[in-house]
Amino acid sequence: MIEFESVAKVYDGQREALSDVNFRLAPGEMAFLTGHSGAGKSTLLRLILGLETASSGAVRVAGTDLSTLSGEKLARYRRRVGVVFQDPNLEEDLSVYDNVALPLRISGFSESEIPKRVKAALSRVDLSDQANASPRVLSGGQQQRVGIARAIVHRPALLVADEPTGNLDPELSARVMRMFTQFQQLGVTILVATHERAVVESLPFRRLVIEQGRLVSDGMGANR
Amino acid sequence: MNRWILDHTQAIHDAWKRTSDRLTQFIVLVCLLGILLAIPGWLAQIWIGMASLVPEDAVQSEAIVFLKQDLEVEARIDLERTLSEMPDTDQIIFVPRSAALEQLSKQDGLEPIADLKANNPLPDALRVKFSVQGVEARENQIIETLVADRRVLSLRYYPSTRIQYASLVEMLGFLGIGLSVLTVIGVLMAVFLVAAADVVDDRRRIELYTLLGASRRFIRRPYLYRATLLGVLAGLSACLVITFLNEVLSSVLASNLKALDTRLENIPMDGRILIGVASIAVLASWVGAERAVNRRLRALH
Repeated sequence: MIEFESVAKVYDGQREALSDVNFRLAPGEMAFLTGHSGAGKSTLLRLILGLETASSGAVRVAGTDLSTLSGEKLARYRRRVGVVFQDPNLEEDLSVYDNVALPLRISGFSESEIPKRVKAALSRVDLSDQANASPRVLSGGQQQRVGIARAIVHRPALLVADEPTGNLDPELSARVMRMFTQFQQLGVTILVATHERAVVESLPFRRLVIEQGRLVSDGMGANR
Repeated sequence: MNRWILDHTQAIHDAWKRTSDRLTQFIVLVCLLGILLAIPGWLAQIWIGMASLVPEDAVQSEAIVFLKQDLEVEARIDLERTLSEMPDTDQIIFVPRSAALEQLSKQDGLEPIADLKANNPLPDALRVKFSVQGVEARENQIIETLVADRRVLSLRYYPSTRIQYASLVEMLGFLGIGLSVLTVIGVLMAVFLVAAADVVDDRRRIELYTLLGASRRFIRRPYLYRATLLGVLAGLSACLVITFLNEVLSSVLASNLKALDTRLENIPMDGRILIGVASIAVLASWVGAERAVNRRLRALH
């Protein structure tokens, strides 16, 4: 599903954020991307999301070289990817329902299809009763679950999460991870960037460790 | 419902929401642009008024055509006939050199030249009076033809007050066009800066929409609708200001200058100006916002 082939990313011609990164993530696979702050995790995710282009090498998702996409094609590609942020980044002027419906409206889903999909997504994150609420009245954990519902509502084949548990307590973090595990079991490819060792080591998934822009380790979690 | 309609309805809703969120800023901008756009509109109204009030009963244009000394009578008569057949000439008067000397000697301080009678240095001349309705371009054409004519020594041209006034109006028209272009550029810049600031303010939201797969067209649509609304309201404000100023000007002219020309009693508002100002307002707002949003989005991406 995701393929990095000798990928390097250099900013301003001198600052090397990624260097010779090689890995493959199979469809339906879940992996953690770990490393210290500034190690290059966010750059790697930005490459996958098409927000940056590699300085050299190739980033392929579902067989498509992302460097060949631009404009409308890139926008269409992003509609097939789900994104979860550390800060859920919700639109406070919109209700929970409308926040979750946002990717569907952007993707051009019919108005008859949108309610079904939003209800299903909210049900997956146990927030069916908060559909009409404003994000302002939700707790941090609930807001993060709305963000997850928004990321999965259009049933993406790939889910990318950047520090999704960074602002949550351990109990909520475990709950979010359980949700990701469920999505993975449904066939979604998931890449989670995190620097929380406890989260990574508690789950039996592949772990990509990145340090100073280089992939230094690629193996299974400790408990597997 | 059709997806296209839904998308645009949503964009209009977003545009309206942005407008109501920053209502004071929006109203100030509408007023500012309205006043700015009223300047060229009002200038145009004054200009059209001036152009239509060109005096028609003013003194005719005239040219004194000095003929060559040794010109034969037949050649002079032929020239007189050619000139009199032209549609823009009204009267051709032959002034013999003796008569010219006599007339000159009657002028204050020129009596001594009467002594030159035996050795008169003046040539024969023709006084060409142009028709009252003469057009400057055609009169100039006749003058050029005469200057190039072998029979003519030199000439002096005295354009009518009507043509001088028309030239003045034309020059003022060019000045007005220059000022109007500057004003429209000012409007474009104002809209550009406001739209660019809006995009910067919405940076977080735009990044989110981009990540969710929104196309640039989808993202910029609400800004363009907002700019269109701004243009429509600014255009209407400009039309109101122009109409008001025209009413004020008309009443001042009517009360003070109607004795000069009865047409000054009522200068009607020209509908083309209002339509033009409203169209320029919408177009300038749209173009300004489109350029700003595209440039900012490129920078963000």
